[in-house]
Amino acid sequence: MNNKEELLKSKEERALEKKRLKQEKYYMSSQWQLMGRKLLKHKLAIFSIVLLGILYFCMIFSDFIAPEDLENYSAKYSDSPITKIHTVHEGKFIGPFVYAQKFKFNDYGQKMYYEDTATPHRISLFVKGTPYKLLGFIKGDVHLYGVKNEDGTPSDVKVLILGADNLGRDMFSRILLGSKVSLTVPLLGTAISFVLAVIIGGVSGFYGGIIDTIIQRIIEVFMSFPTLPLWMALSAAIPTGISVTNVYILITIIMSLLSWPGLARTVRGRFLSLKKEDYVLAARLAGVSDFKIIVKHLVPGFMSYLIVNLTLGIPNMILGETSMSFLGLGMRAPATSWGVLLQECKSINNIANCPWKLIPLVFVAITVLAFNFLGDGLRDAADPYK
Amino acid sequence: MENENKKILDVKDLKIQIKMDEGLLTPVRGVNFSVYENETLGLVGESGCGKSLTCKAILGINGKKAHASGNIDFYKDGEVMNLLDLKPDGEKIRSIRGKQISMVFQEPMTSFSPLFTIGSQMTETIRLHITKDKKEAKEIAIDMMKKVGISNAEKRFTQYPHEFSGGMLQRALIATSLVCHPRLLIADEPTTALDVTIQAQILELMQQLQKDYGMGILYVTHDLGTVAKICDRVIVMYLGKIVEMASVRDLFHNPIHPYTRGLIGSVHKIGGKKERLFSIDGTVPLAMNLSDVCGFEDRCTSKCEACKGCEPELTEVSEGHFVACYRGAEFANGGQKNV
Amino acid sequence: MSKIKFIGKRLGMSVITLWLITVVVFFVIQLPPGDFVDYLVENMVAEGETVTEIEIEAMREEYGTNRPFFVQYADWMKGILTGDWGVSFFYNQKVTVKIGETLGATLAVSFITMIFTYLLSIPIAIYSAKHQYSVGDYLATFIGFIGMAIPNFLFAIILMFLSYKWFGKPIMGLPDTPPTSWPAIKEWIKHMIIPIIVIGTSGTCGLIRSTRAQMLDEQARPYILSTRARGVSEPALTYKYAMRSVLNPVVSGLGGMISGIFNGSTITAIVLMLPTQGPVLLKALQSQDVYLSGGILLISAILVVIGTLISDLLLMAMDPRIKDLEESKNEQ
Repeated sequence: MNNKEELLKSKEERALEKKRLKQEKYYMSSQWQLMGRKLLKHKLAIFSIVLLGILYFCMIFSDFIAPEDLENYSAKYSDSPITKIHTVHEGKFIGPFVYAQKFKFNDYGQKMYYEDTATPHRISLFVKGTPYKLLGFIKGDVHLYGVKNEDGTPSDVKVLILGADNLGRDMFSRILLGSKVSLTVPLLGTAISFVLAVIIGGVSGFYGGIIDTIIQRIIEVFMSFPTLPLWMALSAAIPTGISVTNVYILITIIMSLLSWPGLARTVRGRFLSLKKEDYVLAARLAGVSDFKIIVKHLVPGFMSYLIVNLTLGIPNMILGETSMSFLGLGMRAPATSWGVLLQECKSINNIANCPWKLIPLVFVAITVLAFNFLGDGLRDAADPYK
Repeated sequence: MENENKKILDVKDLKIQIKMDEGLLTPVRGVNFSVYENETLGLVGESGCGKSLTCKAILGINGKKAHASGNIDFYKDGEVMNLLDLKPDGEKIRSIRGKQISMVFQEPMTSFSPLFTIGSQMTETIRLHITKDKKEAKEIAIDMMKKVGISNAEKRFTQYPHEFSGGMLQRALIATSLVCHPRLLIADEPTTALDVTIQAQILELMQQLQKDYGMGILYVTHDLGTVAKICDRVIVMYLGKIVEMASVRDLFHNPIHPYTRGLIGSVHKIGGKKERLFSIDGTVPLAMNLSDVCGFEDRCTSKCEACKGCEPELTEVSEGHFVACYRGAEFANGGQKNV
Repeated sequence: MSKIKFIGKRLGMSVITLWLITVVVFFVIQLPPGDFVDYLVENMVAEGETVTEIEIEAMREEYGTNRPFFVQYADWMKGILTGDWGVSFFYNQKVTVKIGETLGATLAVSFITMIFTYLLSIPIAIYSAKHQYSVGDYLATFIGFIGMAIPNFLFAIILMFLSYKWFGKPIMGLPDTPPTSWPAIKEWIKHMIIPIIVIGTSGTCGLIRSTRAQMLDEQARPYILSTRARGVSEPALTYKYAMRSVLNPVVSGLGGMISGIFNGSTITAIVLMLPTQGPVLLKALQSQDVYLSGGILLISAILVVIGTLISDLLLMAMDPRIKDLEESKNEQ
């Protein structure tokens, strides 16, 4: 009896101790831990992180997941609609398969696709196809899914889960492979503008005086241009005939060139207000160097704020890249991005006859929304007063 | 106690609850007190003890999230009305706000809209409660500004808050609050944001105006020095409850509750012995999922077995001196005090 | 600082900004490798003509594209100041004439869009803030997000497609007849709807979001509580006090708003074939018609600078804290 009581008591004590430790941990946790904890409560933000995770995962393994490469033209499949995936052939269940697409011209000379239901083509996993280099160095030729002939060689029957473009290329493959540009340009561009903004805005805010005035003028000049026309002008200046990689780099630089001024102004404002804080004065009195004050005391003070701004700036870059590519001033064939894919939507007939060509838009919208929600979640999490 | 004075306000079993994601927060847990005419009642406690919420509940300006229950009875011309029954943005409570009961806030700098002149914000109150006439309202306002010691009132009338100093602005705020001659003034730490010399001026001003208008003042503060200077009676709040209520004399000469003793012990005395200031260990717990134990139990230096039981009630230990402590009677009779 | 000094300083800053803008514009138009002569030669070769080096040199001499950067800039700048913005090689017209042709439509579309944006977003934002977390608030937020996520040009295409489905032909361009008679006005309205919705949506969504946030912030300020405690009614608190503070950032965002509208209208106009600057700019860039593209860039930037200037002056008139004005601008 006595023993039991003691046991109970010690159990209680242990629970109390645990609770105390937990509380202590809560009070001791860093700003980042607090932010993370708050972010986890933001359902939309978590959903967005998962979504973006999937998108970026698919981008990394796009060569493998996409059944085709960018240049798999096929007149037979030009403007082909989405392939139906069947499981039952002539009353028998034989697993997922497709019929080959055939077409004939109707009275108006329009191509009409129909399914050749004579032979089913089973969809197999891990099909040999066009060779690729994953991440640029892992060689492979196996693709996640596809149709193969009896002897194991790749068949020319296509599984177009998102339809085909006017040259008969698989839209799904092109969207996946295009995401390599559409999903990385904004990140890289943001990274570059982040560095520019912290350095320029920081110098401007920290030193003030004449340097500040000059930088402020420059920022104002940049901010006075409507972004898109200037973007267009700069992109139009990219010479034709340079390599895809160079176009990619130049476009990324152009995007970041035009987005740093706003961010730099934010950084400067933060520097100005933080500079007045007593702890900065204390550090200065203690003889800490300017550089160290900036890096150790000032930047962490508004890092969370900056990250929120960065996240919220990414959607603009995605939309910008898409717009430029759509106008033909961004990425150029043979490279592809979602904007390039949407070029076909310039004509109304295309949309009317092949509505699946708008699917890249869904990807653009989802990505933009996800970054927006994530940014919103981060902002709420970073704000200690909510 | 000036019992011959009329009662203005009777707060009975006031509870305020706030729904939060983490659970139900109860920052005010059953508070009872009354305010009389011509009396200054001090309300003392640490930040977060629920004193500001209690004050705002009287005016019904706590917002939708805070739910108040109990009674706040307001006596006027022999009539009694429960302020908590009134619709929070209804006509009735609005005719009381600023006219019958006024409030002065901590930060004079943020208590005025920066985009309107002091004059326009003052006359707005006057035109709501006294007269619709613009010219008359202006005269009343300028008179009041002069009364609170704002020099060059005609010019000040047309100025914006950012053109005022902190002390001047607090005077203007007091003028705005008292311009309708309210029966009760709630002052929520009105001097904390000000310099010490200005503080003294503002306190004197308030006492002067109380003498002139006979209003009751509910003075919220955590500064015991101020309490000693201007209050008649004092309420000490801890964790949403009143732990001690006494006349100012009793409270300072014979503090009973260990918390009150801690508070008084932590005040620096000029000319006193040079020794470490006393501080109360620990922090105020969060007013959520509280157990039945006395709220001060884990910080108390003189707890006993009974403290682990249910919370002590507020009981009268000597005339007009109430304490919520199991050892209250013992301490009141000169029992051993650990502080 | 006195008001006059503030205005003077503000004007001076604008002039400097404008000057720097001309430098950037000229740099941008000089950026493309090759010049207009290259473009001409390319076309001539494509048409089967043979062009000799000497002829090319002569053409360079004629168009003056072989002179050093600063000489060309000084020349161009002199022209800008005297109203001679050069000749558009592509359209074979004076740049000022070509811009003038499209400026009216550009300004009309922008101005109407701006009014539409403000009229729509501010009431919605106030409603949203007053009824935070209500169904209406969620709906506004949701639509706001969607409007932000769909690129302008695709929105234009989709609406154009819908108009094609519903009316049998896509509503594109603007009518040729000036809106003087009632049927013509109706025709104009019909053609303006899609551009205004498309161009205005992203701005409207942004403005709803920022105004809503601002309104929420404002409602939580101590002075609102303090004023409420004086017996002032809720509508007065919202519309007199909070609104008044919310208008400040709205006004100060005017420059950005104009810039945003130019962004949207450029690409939307290209898709919808509106007779505004967008399509002309694209054409000019594609043909390396430097003076024309430069002129259009310059005029857009000038309009934004003017917009910013107006917003600053408005702000000065609205906000008594001129002294704080500079500082609050810095904090942004």
